[in-house]
Formats: sequence, C-alpha cells, structure tokens
Amino acid sequence: MSEDKSLKKENNKKYWQFFWRSWAIQGSWNYERQMNLGFLYGIAPTLDRVYKDPKDIDKKKAAYKRHLAFYNCTPQTSSFVLGLSASMEEQLAKNPDDFDPESISAVKSSLMGPLSGIGDSFFQGTIKVLAFGLGINFAQKGNILGPILALIICFVPAYLVTWYGAKWGYTAGNQFLTKLNSEGAMDRVMFIAGVVGLMVIGSMVSSMIPLTTPLHMGTTFKLQSTLNTIMPKLIPISMTMFMYWLINKKVNTGWILAICIIGGILASVFGILKA
Amino acid sequence: MLYKALILGIIGIIVVLDSRFFGRLNVEQPLIASTLVGIALGDVTKGLMVGATLELISLGLVNVGAAAPPDMAMGSIIASAFAILSGASAQTALTIAIPIAVLGQMLGIVIRMGMSSFNVMANKYIDEGKFKSATNLHIIWGMGLYALSYFIPIFVAIYFGTNLVKEIVSIIPTWLTSGLTVASAVLPAYGFALLLSTMITKKMAPYFFIGFLITAYANISVTGIALFAILIAILLDQIIYKDKSSSKDDDSLDSL
Repeated sequence: MSEDKSLKKENNKKYWQFFWRSWAIQGSWNYERQMNLGFLYGIAPTLDRVYKDPKDIDKKKAAYKRHLAFYNCTPQTSSFVLGLSASMEEQLAKNPDDFDPESISAVKSSLMGPLSGIGDSFFQGTIKVLAFGLGINFAQKGNILGPILALIICFVPAYLVTWYGAKWGYTAGNQFLTKLNSEGAMDRVMFIAGVVGLMVIGSMVSSMIPLTTPLHMGTTFKLQSTLNTIMPKLIPISMTMFMYWLINKKVNTGWILAICIIGGILASVFGILKA
Repeated sequence: MLYKALILGIIGIIVVLDSRFFGRLNVEQPLIASTLVGIALGDVTKGLMVGATLELISLGLVNVGAAAPPDMAMGSIIASAFAILSGASAQTALTIAIPIAVLGQMLGIVIRMGMSSFNVMANKYIDEGKFKSATNLHIIWGMGLYALSYFIPIFVAIYFGTNLVKEIVSIIPTWLTSGLTVASAVLPAYGFALLLSTMITKKMAPYFFIGFLITAYANISVTGIALFAILIAILLDQIIYKDKSSSKDDDSLDSL
C-alpha cells in the first residue's frame, strides 16, 4: 500500500517536471532546429535518472544527442510528447536489446505535427480569440475586468491540457492517442472550437471596426444611410473581405500594413471614410 | 525617468518570458502588456484603451512555426508608455507601435538566427560529458538573451525617447490625426482577416457570417455571441455526431 503511495508521489513529481519543462520549451527557440534544446532540457532529468551509472556514459551521450534533433510543438500539447518520450526512454534503458532507439525519434516527429496543428489552432485560434474578444469588450469601457478575464480564460485550458497531456503521455501514451483518433473525438473538439471561434470573429468584425462613410450629395442623400438599408456594417465586412483577399494573394505583411495606414489616411483626407 | 524606464524594462522581461517560460499564457498580448504599463505609470484607463486598440490588430497575428509576426508585445509596451507619458491618444499610440513592432520583429529574427549556434555548442558539451552545460544553454543563456532583447530596447526607448516623442506628437496636424484614426479602424480588419485565413474553411464559413449578421442587425455584444456560439456548437455536435457515436463516446468527450 505504502509502495503504491510512494510510486504515485514519484509519478506526480514527474508530471510536474514535464509540465514546467513543456511550458519553458521555447526558451532558446532558434531557426535551425526550433525547440530542440527546449525538448532536451525537458527530458534531461529522465536521462540523468536512467543512466545514473558512470559506466553508462556513452549511452547517456547518445540519448542526449538523440534529443538534439529538430523539434517544434505547441508547449501545452508538447507535454504529451515529453511524457511519452520519457516513458519510452525508461523502457529503452531497461531493455536495451529489444527496444529500438530510433522509435523514440520516430514517435516524436510523428506526434509533433498533428499536436502542433491542434494545439496552435485551439490555443492561438479559438481560446485566444474568445478570451481577448471578451477582454477588449470590457477594456474599451475602461473596465480592468477585461484583461483579468482574458488571462483567466487563457490560463485554465492551458493548465489542464498541459497537466493531463503530461500524465496521459507518460501513462497511457500510444494507446490513448489512437483511441482518441478512432472515436473521432478530436474532430468533434475541433468542430466545436471552430464554430465558437468563427462566430466570435464575425461578431467582432461588426462591433469593433467603426468605419463609416461621410459621403453625401446635398442634404438629402447620405451614402451611409443608403448602405444601412442594404446591410448594416457593410463597410467593415467588405474591408475585412478585402484584407482576406490580399492575404490569399500572398501579399507581404509589410505591404498590407502600409496599405492600411496610408490608405486609411488618404481615405480620410478625401472624405471617403470616417471613424 | 530612470526609474520608469527600469520598471518598463522589467515589464518587458515579464512579457517576453510569457512565451519563453510559461508556454504562452498570452500575458504578451497588447491588452495585458498595456494594462501592466498603465498600472506601473498610474494611468490604468489609458493603458486599457491603448491595449484594446492594439489588441484588435494583433489578435490575428498567430505565432505558427518559423513565422515571425511583428512584435506587438514590445510595440505595445513602448507605445502605451509614450501615450501615457506624452498624453497622446490611443490612435497615435497605434502608429508608434507598428514601426516599433516591425523593428522588434527584426531584432527577434537576429536573435533566433544567433541561437542556432547553441546547437553546435550543445553538441560539443555533450561530447565532453558536460551535460549540465548543454541544458544551461537553454534555461540560462536562451532565457537570458531573450530577456535582454526586450529589456534593453525598451529601457533605451523610454529613457531617451519620451521627450522627443512628446515634441513630435505636439506638431501633428489635424488631418493626420483624423487620418490615423481611420487607419486605426482599418487595421483591425486586417487582424480579423488574418485570423480568418487560419481558421476558415468552405464548410465553416457560414458560422463566421452568422456571427457577423447577428451583431450587425441585432447589436448583440461579443460576450452574448460567445455564449450563443457555445450552445449552438454543442447542439450541432449532438446532431452531426449523433449517428456515428454511442452514448459511451459522449462520456469519453466529457473526460477530455
């Protein structure tokens, strides 16, 4: 019984280690191999533990080098990869003869792609948009609740995903991921996240782009009133679609920013747009 | 001014370590960074205003893979500090923020290139059996350099630049300020379009327009739409995935 408890305590310590070291994974982000040193930092305590014996030093060197390879993954979902790799490294150290070290690298590179895709679109797409969409709403009224709310909304899912990622990666690992995929649960989470994210962006387009046109003929014809009868917020949505078109045409970010600023100033000077 | 420049430099370190050390909890977003600046300089309302204005653009700038978007975190710290210290408006702050963000982006590119040399060093340390030195490259040198890359530019800009900016702001003509106001309303359109380009598919496009139309016609706030959206998404999930999954799978979703 007490053995169970001490094992649980030891495992919990590992999960926290995976947790913090996944969050710190971007500390030396570089163009050549991106988060490789961060991953090495994450798995280093595991390697130090399994190759404690001085006569294993060559195995330890090989293991350290194995994790110097290119790596890139969303920090929150990366804890899953770290947990899984750590458990595989433990396996390898126990049965060096019937475990291929290559498989660890293979698992890492096969997981980082999909987990970054899901992680980035979930955290940077949906969660961030939701949190800061609400945050801006409050902040524009001068309410300090805005930034506080935004931080809380960002923190809670990040915390949960990283913690359970570390735990499931280490304990269930491979089986868990195949199960999730085969049941289509990942698709459903992505679908819900996409619907919420897109509806919030749509709402922000109509409430946070205060563009109107002052164009008029005499006192009877005001263009903006005519536009309003066709569709309110026609200018904000058209402007957004125009920008979307520019992005799809692969126009450079610098040029688009210049178009926004210079175009905005010119449109104001010639009395076409007003904010 | 020395004291203020120091404090703002430290805010810069907090903000950069958000993505380096805390897995990007979005403390680096302009809304948070500007609010921190507002608290430090004693004008929270202005910080919130500048933060909200800058946030609208930067929401769409997603950090994916190797792409380096304009560094809005650094831009927003310096711009909101200037807005508060020189009395400039949120719109003027916006146009200060963008050139700084682009400069910050370039600095970031140089650092990320320079850090590639860590790989060679790490390899050498491992050969020599200096395992601790190899991981220290990451946790001490990497973090340290990123922290300095924020602290130094912010400190210099605030310590030497505030008076200069104050003078420039005072001679801006009105046609330019109203022009900048329009520009600051156009920029969020770009931010939203960037977001769309990463999220939208033909199948999902209607949800974007539903959100837009409800707010355009019925004037429901973003908070309201978010709440509706969550419920609609849950309902649609039940309808779409009803046939494909048994009740057992619903439980497995809950446990996520």
